[in-house]
Amino acid sequence: MVRKGIKDKVAIIGCDMTKYGELWDKNQYDLLFEAFQSALKDTGIKKDEIDASWIGIFYYFTGLSGAMVEDILRMDGKPSTRVENYCASGMDAFRNASFAIASGAYDVALACGVEKLMDEGGSGLPGFKIFGHPVYPTPSAPAMFSMAATRSFHEYGWTKEDLARVAVKNHDNGADHPKAHFRSRITIDQVMRAPMIADPLGRFDCCAMSDGAAALILTRPELAESYAHADDYILVKANAISCQTNFPWYVPPGGPGAEFTHFPATEKAGEYAYKEAGITNPRKEIDCAEVHDCFTITELLNCQDLQFCERGQAAEELKNGTFNYDGEVAINPSGGLKSFGHPIGSTGCRMLTEITKQLQGRAEGRQVPDAKIGLCHNLGGAFTVCSVTVLGQRD
Amino acid sequence: MIGIKSYGAYLPKYLLPRESIGKAWEFPIVPGTKAVAMADEDSLTMAVEAGLDCLAGNDPKSVDGLFFASTTQVYSEKDSASLIAAVLDMREDIITADFTDSLKAGTTAVTRAVDTIKANKDIKSILVIAADTRTPEPSTMWEYGFADGAAALLIADEDNIPLSIEDYYSVSANVTGPWKRAGKDKFIRTFEPKMDAKFYVENITKVMAEILKRNNLKPEDIGAAAYYYSNPRLHGRIAKMMKYPGGVAQNSLFFQVGDVGTPMPFMLLIGALRRPKEDSKIIMAGFGDGADAILMHVRDRNALRDLGKSRMGFLGHQKSMITLKNYNKFLDFKEIVEKDRYTRKSSAVTIWRDAASVYRWYGLKCQNCGAIQYPDMLRSCYICRADDQFERIKLSLKGSIFTFTLDHLVGGTYLDIPVPRCVVDLDGGGRVLLNMTEIEKPEENVKIGMRVELTFRKEHEGADFKNYYWKCRPERGKP
Repeated sequence: MVRKGIKDKVAIIGCDMTKYGELWDKNQYDLLFEAFQSALKDTGIKKDEIDASWIGIFYYFTGLSGAMVEDILRMDGKPSTRVENYCASGMDAFRNASFAIASGAYDVALACGVEKLMDEGGSGLPGFKIFGHPVYPTPSAPAMFSMAATRSFHEYGWTKEDLARVAVKNHDNGADHPKAHFRSRITIDQVMRAPMIADPLGRFDCCAMSDGAAALILTRPELAESYAHADDYILVKANAISCQTNFPWYVPPGGPGAEFTHFPATEKAGEYAYKEAGITNPRKEIDCAEVHDCFTITELLNCQDLQFCERGQAAEELKNGTFNYDGEVAINPSGGLKSFGHPIGSTGCRMLTEITKQLQGRAEGRQVPDAKIGLCHNLGGAFTVCSVTVLGQRD
Repeated sequence: MIGIKSYGAYLPKYLLPRESIGKAWEFPIVPGTKAVAMADEDSLTMAVEAGLDCLAGNDPKSVDGLFFASTTQVYSEKDSASLIAAVLDMREDIITADFTDSLKAGTTAVTRAVDTIKANKDIKSILVIAADTRTPEPSTMWEYGFADGAAALLIADEDNIPLSIEDYYSVSANVTGPWKRAGKDKFIRTFEPKMDAKFYVENITKVMAEILKRNNLKPEDIGAAAYYYSNPRLHGRIAKMMKYPGGVAQNSLFFQVGDVGTPMPFMLLIGALRRPKEDSKIIMAGFGDGADAILMHVRDRNALRDLGKSRMGFLGHQKSMITLKNYNKFLDFKEIVEKDRYTRKSSAVTIWRDAASVYRWYGLKCQNCGAIQYPDMLRSCYICRADDQFERIKLSLKGSIFTFTLDHLVGGTYLDIPVPRCVVDLDGGGRVLLNMTEIEKPEENVKIGMRVELTFRKEHEGADFKNYYWKCRPERGKP
């Protein structure tokens, strides 16, 4: 839903992220501390200037409550809240911080996210034995999205090779990013030959388990000019969330998403965000986007649901270069989740950091030429929660 | 007139060639095969299958009781009959009881059902189900015999009963063996198999001879004799001792299916009912620390034959069985191989509260828009968003696959993989998510649009509680 919205009411005045990867020698406190200190430096402020914090953490074992910020950063008891909204946890922390700034309640706010997955071992996301109901099937994350892949193959005629191109493109972009978990280029053949994780998705169709953190500092535009990025702070153009069911496999035919060939959460969050930002032709107006690519099929379907192309055309558009970093809409110029892995609570903040830097012309990996408007997108759960944020340069 | 109104059976999907057992242990090879249940099956799940088969065409709400007979009960304190009755969607104002600890528990349960119906005017029908999954000790001769299966008889007092029960006769005998100490022994033990065999032959012939005598019948008056046996040679000797004419003593089970234990007399009877002689007498007998003989009379041959056509029974299952090629798989199915088994969160309370969806297989129908949804935990309609407009509706046990995946990451670890996760559109409405079982080469054989039927299976034993749920399987021909 969009009532008044917060377009141009919030400015990103600094941000940064840690290196992503299997960071065995670091804990979640180290990661958040490092991301925060870099973001402070980027902003040119002291931590005491921050009025309140929101932190995205998905798993209980990474940490509980807003006290994670207090313990890591010693903010002298200032307000802090932990946000959990599946894979959108980090971007929803940013959304909450944005609202606090736009309302005038605070002058400077911290939005951050961290996840420490590797301490639980690397064989898929932990916790699936304790989530949900004792007997109703709980498919693994790749299994959930595979069911959309199976159906999309059936409806759109896509193949495993079409999916492989997503992995190849993203790893190609990520190879240039110093903070990416994986920095090797791969071939279609490697993707096709990789072991199955959830048929038809193989190992290279799935993002990896990783550790990482990212942090952004926000203020109102009228205050932004007194900080380091006075000339190139970035404005929040729109900020949207859509929540659909936790159980897409129970939606009766005719209900939202029952086709398994599109994600209603992405479609709705996209619509809300475009309306708020005043975007009428996303493909033309958006220059670069970090689009949730937890699995290759996810990126293809999201590109359609975000109106970057027609339904059923994403595979063809990808093949034709539309989504390359120098194409019409650069999708995942950072290398995406495919290259960074997916420390869940942090990913939204990492994307926002990436797009902020793209719009400032200081991308750490591949710079999208002349990027003015960018989009960040997360899709979490069983296609359940989607967050979309549109960012733009100041006038 | 009291008698058998309906019957049903269940045999698992796989047949293990005895040759593979012989090869594994370098034993003399014994011919034939035996029925082997999968790791997600036990006596309770097989009882549900046989019960569903038996109740095909009958309203489960019309049955007044359920007796469950098995030597391989899944709990020793907590009965199985009440759970099976719930899964079969029977009423709550019924009688339920488990008959256990003896291989004659099935025939004994039938005699108790007859007496109960005679004695109580409110009880007109009782479903008797027998099932066993006895685990043989590897590298013993038991391994050639012990097999898995279930069978059910619906005992009722009705005017047009196709097979009436005329009389029964029992003896009690504290014999030398075999035995299994409660809570201690995984495998059965015995002291002197020759003595065990002697008691078996004596007792089973004693009850069959006595029931003939009590009813002034001669062996040639008997159309079929369905008596328990675990050794084909002893079976033949008993037929001779009883002077049954050729073809009367039912011996169709052991060679292909094996010694299924408690349900064996039921299965032999069901086999005999394929071609019943009009007006003939049938004897069914069970053995285990004593013996029961039950005398029956074929009242309506055509009705019995029609019953055979409208359910899977013994033959329908037999036809759809396939060979288990690997002996190690058998050890795995029987959980003889020690390895980590899949578990997850468990809550007996959640399962109790959700029994309508989890056990009875009910969904919800929206009174506003007609949409059918599952499970019954959400109170607002997916389609029209109306609040609290639902009515419970019984869902079909058949459907087609809408989409699926083959999941290699089960519970975050790689165990028993891949598991096909299938989004199934049930016939008559309702979309559900089910794991698939009984699937060979899933990469080739699971497809969109594939027809499946539901089967009740063991899911996991988290918190030491038996968690059961429905799975789907490729069609075997469920009625």
